[in-house]
Amino acid sequence: MVSPAIALAFIPLLLTIIIRCRYYFVLFYRAVLVRIWKDCVTGLSREERAYQYVLTHATPGDPDSILDAFDVWCSKVEFISNIGPKKGKILDRLLMEQSPLTVLELGAHCGYSTVRIARSLPLGARLYSLEMDARNAVIAEKIIRLAGFDDDTVELIVNPSDEVIPLLRSDYGLERLDFVFMDHWKKCYLPDLQMLEGSGLLGKGSMIVADNVLFPGAPKFLRYIRKSGLYEWKVHRATLEYSKGIRDGMAELVYQGIK
Amino acid sequence: MGTSAYTKEYFCLRGTSTYARGYLAVQLVDVGLELEGNEEEEEDERERHRGRRRDGDREKKKRGNGRRRRSSRGERGEEELQTRVEKRERGRMKKGRRDPEAKGREREEEEEEEEERPEIKSCKTAKTRKNIKNENARKMEEEEEERNAKKKKKHGSAKREREEDRSKCTVKEKAREGRRRKHKRVETSSEPETSEEDDLKEETEEREVRPESLSPEELEMLKEAVEEKKKLVQGLRGKPWPMKKKLVTLRESQEFVEKYEGALGKGKGRKLYAYKVMMSKKWMKFQRDFENFKTACIPWEMKIKEIESHFGSSVASYFIFLRWMYGINMILFCLTFGLVMVPEALMGRPYGTIPRKTVPRAEAPSAMDFAVLWDFGGYAQYSVLFYGYYNNQRAIGWLKFRMPLSYFLVGVGTVAYSYMVVIRTMARNANESGVGDDNSFNFSWKIFTSWDYLIGNPETADNKFASITTSFKEAILEEQESRKDDNIHLTRFLRVLANFLVLCCLAGSGYLIYFVVRRSQKFALEGLETHTWWERNEVNMVMSLLGMFCPMLFDVISALENYHPRVALQWQLGRIFALFLGNLYTFIIALMDEINLKREEEKIIKFNITTWEASLYNATGSENSTAPPVTFHPADVPRGPCWETMVGQEFVRLIISDTMTTYITLLIGDFLRAVLVRFLNYCWCWDLEAGFPSYSEFDVSGNVLGLIFNQGMIWMGAFYAPCLPALNVLRLHVSMYLQCWAVMCCNVPQERVFKASGSNNFYMAMLLVILFLSTLPAIYTIVTIPPSFDCGPFSGKKRMFDVIQETLESDFPAWFSKVFSYASNPGLVLPFILLMVLAIYYLQSTSKSYKEANVDLKKKLQTQNEENKRKNKLAALKAQTDLEEARAATQTAERQKNINASLQRQHAEEEEDLGSSQRKNGRPPPSVRHQDGRPPATRAPVPRTLHPDTHRSLGYLPGGGFPQQREPRMHRVPSLQRH
Repeated sequence: MVSPAIALAFIPLLLTIIIRCRYYFVLFYRAVLVRIWKDCVTGLSREERAYQYVLTHATPGDPDSILDAFDVWCSKVEFISNIGPKKGKILDRLLMEQSPLTVLELGAHCGYSTVRIARSLPLGARLYSLEMDARNAVIAEKIIRLAGFDDDTVELIVNPSDEVIPLLRSDYGLERLDFVFMDHWKKCYLPDLQMLEGSGLLGKGSMIVADNVLFPGAPKFLRYIRKSGLYEWKVHRATLEYSKGIRDGMAELVYQGIK
Repeated sequence: MGTSAYTKEYFCLRGTSTYARGYLAVQLVDVGLELEGNEEEEEDERERHRGRRRDGDREKKKRGNGRRRRSSRGERGEEELQTRVEKRERGRMKKGRRDPEAKGREREEEEEEEEERPEIKSCKTAKTRKNIKNENARKMEEEEEERNAKKKKKHGSAKREREEDRSKCTVKEKAREGRRRKHKRVETSSEPETSEEDDLKEETEEREVRPESLSPEELEMLKEAVEEKKKLVQGLRGKPWPMKKKLVTLRESQEFVEKYEGALGKGKGRKLYAYKVMMSKKWMKFQRDFENFKTACIPWEMKIKEIESHFGSSVASYFIFLRWMYGINMILFCLTFGLVMVPEALMGRPYGTIPRKTVPRAEAPSAMDFAVLWDFGGYAQYSVLFYGYYNNQRAIGWLKFRMPLSYFLVGVGTVAYSYMVVIRTMARNANESGVGDDNSFNFSWKIFTSWDYLIGNPETADNKFASITTSFKEAILEEQESRKDDNIHLTRFLRVLANFLVLCCLAGSGYLIYFVVRRSQKFALEGLETHTWWERNEVNMVMSLLGMFCPMLFDVISALENYHPRVALQWQLGRIFALFLGNLYTFIIALMDEINLKREEEKIIKFNITTWEASLYNATGSENSTAPPVTFHPADVPRGPCWETMVGQEFVRLIISDTMTTYITLLIGDFLRAVLVRFLNYCWCWDLEAGFPSYSEFDVSGNVLGLIFNQGMIWMGAFYAPCLPALNVLRLHVSMYLQCWAVMCCNVPQERVFKASGSNNFYMAMLLVILFLSTLPAIYTIVTIPPSFDCGPFSGKKRMFDVIQETLESDFPAWFSKVFSYASNPGLVLPFILLMVLAIYYLQSTSKSYKEANVDLKKKLQTQNEENKRKNKLAALKAQTDLEEARAATQTAERQKNINASLQRQHAEEEEDLGSSQRKNGRPPPSVRHQDGRPPATRAPVPRTLHPDTHRSLGYLPGGGFPQQREPRMHRVPSLQRH
C-alpha cells in the first residue's frame, strides 16, 4: 500500500496542473459540459439557441448590433467558436486594406464571420460562403438576411468545401479570388488550400486568412505554407475567441505565385 | 570611352546629395555661359580630381575602377576576338593617349596592367588544358602542317605580333572561343588552322620561359601589386563595404597573391621564396588545425556550443557549470581513489581476515542478493566503499603507508580544495563582471547588446527576436509607467502574495518531511522488516517528489510576479534553494537522531562483547587451560553498529535515489512527453505541439540546484563513504550525455531566450553557501562524536583528529611536535585569528574605497564628456555665425559693386544659396567650400571650371532648360528668409 505521505507529495503537482490548465478547464466546461446540458434541457441545437438570442436582442438590418449580440451570447451565455471581436478586428483591417471584390468564405457556421466580412466589403463585391452542415446553413442564412445582406452580396452554398472548390470556376463563373477566409474543419485547411492552388483561382496578391491555426491548430497547414514558398505569410498572434489565456493565431497569406 | 561616360562617373562619384545639389545650382546659372566645354580642360579637371581622390582612398577607388575597367575590357575582349589588327591599333591609340596625360593616369595604367596579368595567366592555363585535350586533334593538324610547310612564311609576321602580351591573350581567347569551329575546320581546310596551331605551340614554349623574361620594372610592379593586395586583405575587415563585396574582394586578392607570390624573385632566390611562402602557409594551416585540435580536446565543447546555438546561453551556462563540476569531482575522485581506496585495497589486510572486513554470519546468506547490494548492504557494505572497512593499523604495506592519517587528510583536503576552487572561481568571475551595466543607458544597452550572437538556429533566433521586441515594448511601457505609479501597488501586492504562497508551500513541504522522518524513526524502532518497501523508502520518496513538484508550483506562482526572466530565474533559484536546504537539513537532523540511537546501541553491544569475551575466556579456562585458545571465524565475532558506515550508506542511497529520480523525470517528463506530443498530434483534436502540452522547456534553475545540492551531499558524505566522488563522477558523466541528448531531442528553446552571463557567479555563490552548510554537519560529527570502537581507521581513538597528534608524536622529531604544540596554543592562535580578521577588514575597506574612487572617476569622465560636447557645440555655433556674418558682408559689397550686372548678381545669389544649403547640411563639403571662400574677383572662373561636368550631367536630368532657369528664384526665397 502506498503511504499517505507519498500521496500528499503529489499535491504540488496537482496544483500546478490545475493552475497551468485553468483556461482549458474553463473552456471545456463552457464548450462541452454546458452545451450538453442545454441541449438536453431545451431540445434545440446550440446554433438555434444563439439565433433565438440574436433575434430577440439585436436590431434587424444592423450588422453591428447583430455582431454585438453574438459576442455577448458567446462570452456570457454559451460558447461558439466564432472568430470573435479581437481577431475580427484584424480581419476587418485586412479587408479594408485589401478591399477585395470576390471573397470566398469556407465555413460560415452560423453566419457571424459572414456578416463580419460582408459589412466591410466595398461596393459591388461578392461573398461566397460555404457551409457543410444544412442545419447550421439555415441559421446562417437567416442571420445573413437579418443583417440585411441580399443574395447579390452574399451567396451561401450548402456543400462541403472539397466538392465546391473545383466547381467554383465552372458553376459560379469565378475568375479569381481576391480574398479567402478559412474557418471550417482544421484538417481541411491544407487540402482546400492545395485545391485552391490547383484550381488557378488564386492570382498574385490574393489573400488567404486562416483562423485558429494555433488552437485547435493546423500544424500541417503551417508546415506547408512555410515550405511551399508560394506565399508571403505571417501569423497574427492573439488569444482564442472569448477566452483570455489560450493562445491562438490567425495566419495571413498573400499568394505570390510561382516565380 | 566617351567623355560623357566620364562625366557621368565623375558626377556619381561626387557622392552625397549635397554635392549634387550644389553642383546643380551652380550649373543652372552657367547653363547659358558655356555650352561647348573645352575638351582638354575637362580632361585636366577630371584627372586632377582623380588624383586627389586616389590619394584619399585609393584602395577603395582601385576596386571600383578595376571592376569597371574589367567589365569594359570584357566588352573590349570580344571585339578583340574579331581581329588582331584592330587590337594593335587600339594599343597604339592607347599609347598615344598616354603621352599627353598626367602622372595620375600612368598609375591607372599600372593598375590596368596588374589587372590584365591574371587574365593572361588564366588564358594560358586554359590554353594548356586545351592542349592536352586536343592532343589527338593536334596530331592530325601537324600532319596537315607539314603538308602546308610553305605557308609558314606568312606566320612570321604573326609571331612578331605576338610579342605583346595582350595580343597573346587575344590569340588564346580566340582559340578558346573558336575551338569547336577549329575542329571542324581541321577536316575541311587546314590553311588558317595551321597558323593557329603554331601559335599554340609557341605559347606553351613561352610560358615556361616567362618568369625569367620579366623585366625588373615589371617585377617591381608585380611585387608592389602583391604587397598592395596583401595590405588590402589585411585592412578589409575595417572597410565600410557590404559583405558580398568584401568576400569577392578577399577571394580575388587572395587568388592574386597566391598566383604571383611564387613568381617573385629569380632563379634560386625565387625557389627559396616560394619555399618560404609554402612553409608559412603550412605553418598557418598547422596552427589552425592545432586550434581546432585544442577545441576538440576540451571535453564536450562542441556539444555545448551546439546547445548554445539552439537554446541560448542560459541553457549553455548550465552545461558549462556541469562540466566545471565534473572537473572538480574528477579531482576529488582522484584524491580519494588514489590515496585511500587503492592503498587499502592493495596493501591493507584482505577481505575476511578481521571482523570488520567480513560479512557477519547472520547476513552472509543474503549478502550477494541484488536487493541488498542495491541498498549498499551485504558485500558492498563490507568493502573499501565505506568507512567501516578500513583498519586502524597505523602503517600498511611495504611502503609504510599511514592509512588513518591519509584518510583524515584526504577528508580534510577534499573540502579545503573545494573551498579554494569555488572562491577562486568566484573571484575571477567577479573580476570579469566588475564593469557592471549602468541603468543610465537602458535603451542603448538594449539596442546594442541584446542580441545573442551564439544563436545558430532559426527557431531560437525567432524567439530571441520576439523576446527583444517584447523587452523593448516592456521597457517603453516601464518608462511610461515609472511616472505614474498607480500600477506599482498591484505589482507589489502580487509579489508579496506570491512570496506568501511560496512560503506556505515551503512550510507544507517541510512539515511533510518532518512527519515522514518521525514516522520512519518509529518504524526503525519497531523493526524495518515488518513494513512494506514503500514505507521503508518513504523519506527518500517524499523528498524526491517534493523536490520535483514544488519547483513547478513555484514556477507557476512566479508568473504572478511579472519579473524579468533573469530576475525571475534568480528568485526561482532562491526558492528552490530554500526548499532543498530545508529538505537536506531535515534529513541531516533525522540522521543525527539515528546516530545517537546507534551510539546507544553501541554502548550495549560493547558491554555485551566484554561479557562475551569474558565468558569465552572463562569457558576455555574452566575446561582446560592447556588447550589452544579457541579461534573464532571473524564472521562470528559480534560487532558494533558502526554509525559511520550507516551515515555513508544513507548518503549513497540518497545520491542513488536522487539520480534515479532525475533520470526518470527526464525520461518521463521530457522524452515521453515529447514522443506523445509528436505522435499523438496526428490524431488529436488540437495542435499538441503549438498548443497546450507542447514540448517541455529546459529547466535551468531546477537543474542547477539539483547539481549544487548533489554536490553538497557529496561533500557531506564523502568522509564516511569514500566511494561517493566516484559515484558522482559517474553520475555527472552519464547526465552530461543524457541531458545533452534530452535537450536536443525533446526540449524547445525558451520562449524568452535571455543571456545568462551574470548568473554564473550566482551559481557559484550558491555553491559556496552549500559547501559551507554541508561541511558544517560533517565537521560537527568529526569533532564531537567519538568514532566507533570496532570499525574504521580511527577505531580505538577518542576523537578522529587524534590521528594527527599521534603522527606528530611518533613520526616527527620531538622538536617539531614541541613547536606544533606551541603553535596550537590558544594564546598564539587567538592573536593570529585576530590579525587575520583585521587584515580582512583592512582589505575590504580599501577595496570599498577603490570602488568609490572608480565610481567618482566614472562620473568625472561623464561630466567631462558632456562638457566637451557642449564646448564643441558652442564653438561650432560661433563659427557658423562668424561665417554667416562674413558672407553677408561680402554679399552686400558685391551687390554694391555689380548692381547693374544682373547676370552676375544672379551668380552671387546662387553662390549664397549654395552656401546656405551647405550650412543646412551641417558638414560643408571641403572642395566647394574652398571655392566659395575665395575672394569675389576670382569667383567668376570657378563655376566655369566646374561647369563642364555639371553641364554634362544636366543632360541626364529630366526636363529641359526652362524649368531649370526658373528654379533659382524658388531657391532664393528661403535663403533670404534665413538672413
